[in-house]
Formats: sequence, structure tokens, C-alpha cells
Amino acid sequence: MNIEVAEERDGDALVLLPVGRLDSANARAFESIVMERVDGGEQRLIVDFSRLGFISSSGMRVLLMAAKKLHAGQGKLVLCAMPDHIHEVFRISGFDQIIPIRDTRESALGEV
Amino acid sequence: MAMTDELRVSVSPRLSAVRSLAQMVEEFGDANELPDQQIYMINLALDELITNTVSYGLRGVSRPKIEITLQVSENRLVLTMEDNGRPFDPTRNTNPDLSSPVDERPVGGLGLHLIKTFADRVDYEYSDGKNRLVMEHDLTPAAR
Repeated sequence: MNIEVAEERDGDALVLLPVGRLDSANARAFESIVMERVDGGEQRLIVDFSRLGFISSSGMRVLLMAAKKLHAGQGKLVLCAMPDHIHEVFRISGFDQIIPIRDTRESALGEV
Repeated sequence: MAMTDELRVSVSPRLSAVRSLAQMVEEFGDANELPDQQIYMINLALDELITNTVSYGLRGVSRPKIEITLQVSENRLVLTMEDNGRPFDPTRNTNPDLSSPVDERPVGGLGLHLIKTFADRVDYEYSDGKNRLVMEHDLTPAAR
């Protein structure tokens, strides 16, 4: 199953905006989009959650893989604009300790 | 709300099934005035459990079956999953190390941690050729 991912560029940072739901049904599709960008040499990656209503652990796993790969190559992943219910799950899982989360796109751009 | 309301769904053993099930759970949750956070946690748990079962437990099983039951009463929410796959007790999985840095962190094991965090009680049994996992979550009146 596919996932719609909008892409916006801001300077040398790439912003990805997954739309709708990111679950086991489409995590593979999201993984290929994200890893294609990372393997293609993107160093400053932001995932903006403002258009995402649901993310399961299979989607979070993709973000962790991307963060690891970027980190190994001196790059960085920052997440932003997360709805409260999703932010809570990132907090419970400890993901907020390993991938930076910012309230707004602007502060994510400053961090990445 | 004094009575118990119940949602019972036979899930087709495919990854894409999580999508239609999630929608049913959302409608059921809204009808029973469950907080959005709880509906989200239920769907997170189901996504993880169904993925594990479809990808591993039911592989090679000739007539794979998954049945999900969600019951809500005044002070309790009970989520039950039954499947006829190989015996697998997810409650015996070790907890992931949440404090390790990004480079060292294992990529799996997260979903079960979330389930254990959400559920006040988790029980597993294997009998009559079926896995049966029961997750109970206490509802506080203030949260309803």
C-alpha cells in the first residue's frame, strides 16, 4: 500500500510531510521513500508531522533506521509539528530522547 | 454508561487488514466516548500484534484466523486477540533498552513495550490450538 509524502526544500534541508496514516500497511513504502533520499545524499532531513494522524511502531522503526544512517554519515534527522497524541507515544517509547522533536518547522530548521 | 459494548472482528491475515480494523476501532471508540489517546493506543497495539502474527505466527498455517474483540464497560477496556498460529507469548519478550543512543538502539521490540505500557494487565494462554492474548486497561471516570 502506498503513502503520500509531500516534499519541500528549505535551503539544503529536505522536509518530508507524510500524509494520513503511517502503519504496517504502508511502512515499507515510506521506508523506500525515506531511505532513497538518505542514500541519495540528503544530510539535513526533517519529517513534518502536521499532516499525519497516525503512526504505528512500524513507521517509527523507519524513522529510527533513517536517524541511524544519517547519524553515521554526519547527517541529522529532526521531527516537528507533532500532534499531542503522537508526541505522547514518542515520549513513552523514549524516542524523544534519541530523535530531536521540535514544535515548529522553523525551530526544526534551526536544529537540523 | 453501565452496560458493556463489544466489537468483534474476524481479521483477514494480511498486513493491509490493519487499516480497515483501525477504522472500525475508531468508530467504536467514538461511539463509546473513549478519549482519542486511548483509541490511538488500541490501534497501535493492534497494528503491532497483527503484523507479528501475520508475518511470523500464521506463516504456513493452512486456515489462518485472527479474531479481535474489544469490550468497553464503565471502568474497563478489554482487548482480546485470538489466532490459530504457532504458540507465541509476547508477554515473555524482554523490554527494549530505551536509554541507549541512536546508533546502538535495536530497531524492533518497540510495539510490545508500548502495549505493556498501555495495558494494566496482560494475560497470555495457548489452548485448543489457539493463542489468546488479553489486555485490560482500567478507565478512570475522570478520563471518560
